[in-house]
Amino acid sequence: MRLLALLWSLGPLLWQLHTSLLPPEALVGQGPAGAAAWTLANYRLVLAGDPPLWRSLLNSALVGGGTTALTLLLALPCAYALQRRRGPLAWGVGAALLAAALFPTVLLFLGLLELARTFHLGNNLAALCLPYTALALPLAILLLRAAIADLPPELEDAARLEGMGLGMRVRAVLLPLLAPALASTAILTFLFSWNEYPIALTWISRVDRLTLPTAMARLAGSSVFTVPYGAFAAATVLGSLPLLLLVLVAQRWIVRGLTQGAVKG
Amino acid sequence: MSGLSLEQVSRRSGDRVLLEGLDLAVAPGECLALLGPSGCGKTTTLRLVAGLDPCSSGRILLNGEDITHRPAGERQVAMVFQSYALFPHLDVGENLALGLRSRGVPRPERDRRIAAVLELLELTPLVRRRPAQLSGGQRQRVALARALLRQPRIVLLDEPMSNLDARLREDLRPELRRLLCGGEPPVLYVTHDQQEAMGMADRIAVLQAGRLEQVGGVRELYTDPRTRFVADFLGRPAINWLPAEGGRVLGVRPEHLRPQAEGGIAARPLRREWWGHQPLVWLETPHGTLRMLLPAGGELLDYLMVGWRAENELWFDADGRRIDGAGPWRQQGRARAV
Amino acid sequence: MSELALDLLLMLPALLLLAAVFLLPLLRAAWLSLHASSVVTGLVAVPNGGANWRRLLGDERFLQDAWQTLRFAGVSVALELLLGLALALLLHRPSRGRGALRALVLLPWALPTTVMALGWRWILNDPHGPFNALLSRLGLPTYGFLTTPATTWLATVMADVWKTTPFVALLLLAGLQSIPADLVEALKLEGAGRLTILRRLTLPLLAPWIGLALLFRLAQALGVFDLIQVLTGGGPAGSTESLAVYAYRQALRFLDFGYGSTVLMATFALLLLPGLAWLLLQNRLPRRNA
Repeated sequence: MRLLALLWSLGPLLWQLHTSLLPPEALVGQGPAGAAAWTLANYRLVLAGDPPLWRSLLNSALVGGGTTALTLLLALPCAYALQRRRGPLAWGVGAALLAAALFPTVLLFLGLLELARTFHLGNNLAALCLPYTALALPLAILLLRAAIADLPPELEDAARLEGMGLGMRVRAVLLPLLAPALASTAILTFLFSWNEYPIALTWISRVDRLTLPTAMARLAGSSVFTVPYGAFAAATVLGSLPLLLLVLVAQRWIVRGLTQGAVKG
Repeated sequence: MSGLSLEQVSRRSGDRVLLEGLDLAVAPGECLALLGPSGCGKTTTLRLVAGLDPCSSGRILLNGEDITHRPAGERQVAMVFQSYALFPHLDVGENLALGLRSRGVPRPERDRRIAAVLELLELTPLVRRRPAQLSGGQRQRVALARALLRQPRIVLLDEPMSNLDARLREDLRPELRRLLCGGEPPVLYVTHDQQEAMGMADRIAVLQAGRLEQVGGVRELYTDPRTRFVADFLGRPAINWLPAEGGRVLGVRPEHLRPQAEGGIAARPLRREWWGHQPLVWLETPHGTLRMLLPAGGELLDYLMVGWRAENELWFDADGRRIDGAGPWRQQGRARAV
Repeated sequence: MSELALDLLLMLPALLLLAAVFLLPLLRAAWLSLHASSVVTGLVAVPNGGANWRRLLGDERFLQDAWQTLRFAGVSVALELLLGLALALLLHRPSRGRGALRALVLLPWALPTTVMALGWRWILNDPHGPFNALLSRLGLPTYGFLTTPATTWLATVMADVWKTTPFVALLLLAGLQSIPADLVEALKLEGAGRLTILRRLTLPLLAPWIGLALLFRLAQALGVFDLIQVLTGGGPAGSTESLAVYAYRQALRFLDFGYGSTVLMATFALLLLPGLAWLLLQNRLPRRNA
């Protein structure tokens, strides 16, 4: 059973890896493709392409980093205030956040495109962080609120009795205790930002500003019949690699983050 | 007017009344225990005095000064929490230093004071441990150390020993009294354990459903309870209740019941529990099951008559208020004058 | 400053950004759906008195896409819940290397949809993908997984199931872990078998998580875009086109913003259905403290 599960989730990925290492001729040739010698030709191809793939990777990393930082910065105070406040206001905001977290973001692309046009935000990676942050915020706030709710309230009471102001309480008590929750929120936000497609598709048109998903789709759309599948595969492997590392390293936090959000959401 | 006094203090949250019109005074150096079942308002009172929650109405005075609206951090309150509320990410030394640092106490003085309090509580070898690496008793001592460092004007203790085992609790009582009581600041001690309240406090305030039932000395509450609730809440084994005419009830404590040759209530012993040095006997009687503490060495027959002295009767009306000088309870229930 | 004012101040930046990114576009789309705004009008919004909505009702392409979207969402979410539950039960059993297994199983969910859609395009390729290579080696005719209108939608379902089952499994795993072990043990002492435990204990207690997974997946599947756009582009012959892809085409290929907005609003209305169902269900079920 376990083996089956592994095969099911990893099989397609391994096949991509295998494909990416084959010389282009072997892909369309008859006979067992596995017999051909492995080569890095496909990787050289995508990395030297126009625009080179590393450019998109870098763009995605920049947007991901910016989005993650901004999301945490906005989500933490909001989650803190939301957790402290009981009553209909907090309940309403919480329900709205849950609805927003469930909302398929593609429905917003038209309005966002117009916003980008009005304020000249297109092709600007820093500006792209704004809608990304907003889209990541609902989940981030819910996760952090749940984490704050799990902290023993006496800790903050004790800090208040010591005469610590809000800023000091946040720095000396809240942040260190929330570190695990902040980590899982950051990872989930980064994942979302790294993978987002429809908004990047409408906001970014300059090829040197494309994020990874849009660059991928552009490859896919380049030609329907003579698709360079070896290059594709190499691109998918390169695009997955950072995430692969992230998931393997941070598995514990991802699971915890999702779980906590689910329980409290 | 020195000491702490609460005047008509109330606390409402939404439409729930947590505390209603509480009047209470604690003299300097006095230890007052707030006793009552969970949800009676004792912890609420503590939080109001600490400034952690706002009063809905009423005033809190400390040495004549109105501190009702002072922020918690400015009241110079030392509080020991039930969970100790030690910061899990800091070691013992850092836990103790945090408050002093936030109040801007200079480094040399800080170190000196922390060293002194560590020495006093025999915590010096544990100074680099984190709370998770300490036993319950050690954590409690760290929480105490933090309270002592504050040089407080009020000391508040919220069930400070309920997470410790019974033996340790008993050993710690004199220590707590020595360290915290008898100085200048008034001490408020919240507990639901009457044994602890009796052992720790100079006076006890019994709370029930957000209201003060009675406040007084330990002996006074036991021998002269003003409400049925207080009579019922204090004293183990619990008081016996016998119904009487007009909705009144008579309370007789188990140690006041005694076997007698004639008169009294017919009773059949059901079973016997060993209650420390005395057996507690459960009796089946026409008026319900009664508990009787048998004097040590007392003999029990299969069937007997029990009675009590008139001066040990505690009478309450249908509303649970004490009636002085009522009774006696049906002629046959009284013991003959000895 | 009062506590309330401080709390509002702390919430304000996040809520403002959320309003700008969620509410503004939705309101704008609602407004645009009542206007003509296309190349014909020079991209200026001109009120057209509900003509967009009348066109929508008579638009066979829209009706077809709505049906296809519902079909895609229904089938893929059902499969994801079933497989996700099985996977969660599997991952819940203690075993060596459970952490690593979880991480590996989770991988498909973490990858960008566009990346994995590209991958599937290659795997389902006719005639060079591994499936077809296998078929031809066995002497069978190859099959156009992505070029046969009647079955290509199944390929999109499969790709979606592959990607999101791990997510559902993870949610349900969280639910499984919240079930106290002593409940299971108590039932075992009663002599209950594994199937009874699953039916009488696990599933009822898992209901809130299943509900959440269902709601989330349904909302996402009804708005499916990335996967279709990259895997099939809506083809062959529009047989896999979803409402979101259709709206995107109307707006960005035909530059008809008014009608594109109308399609978006119609999709939004479709989304409200599971939302309302959820609310009703929440009120009917006794509230559990999860």
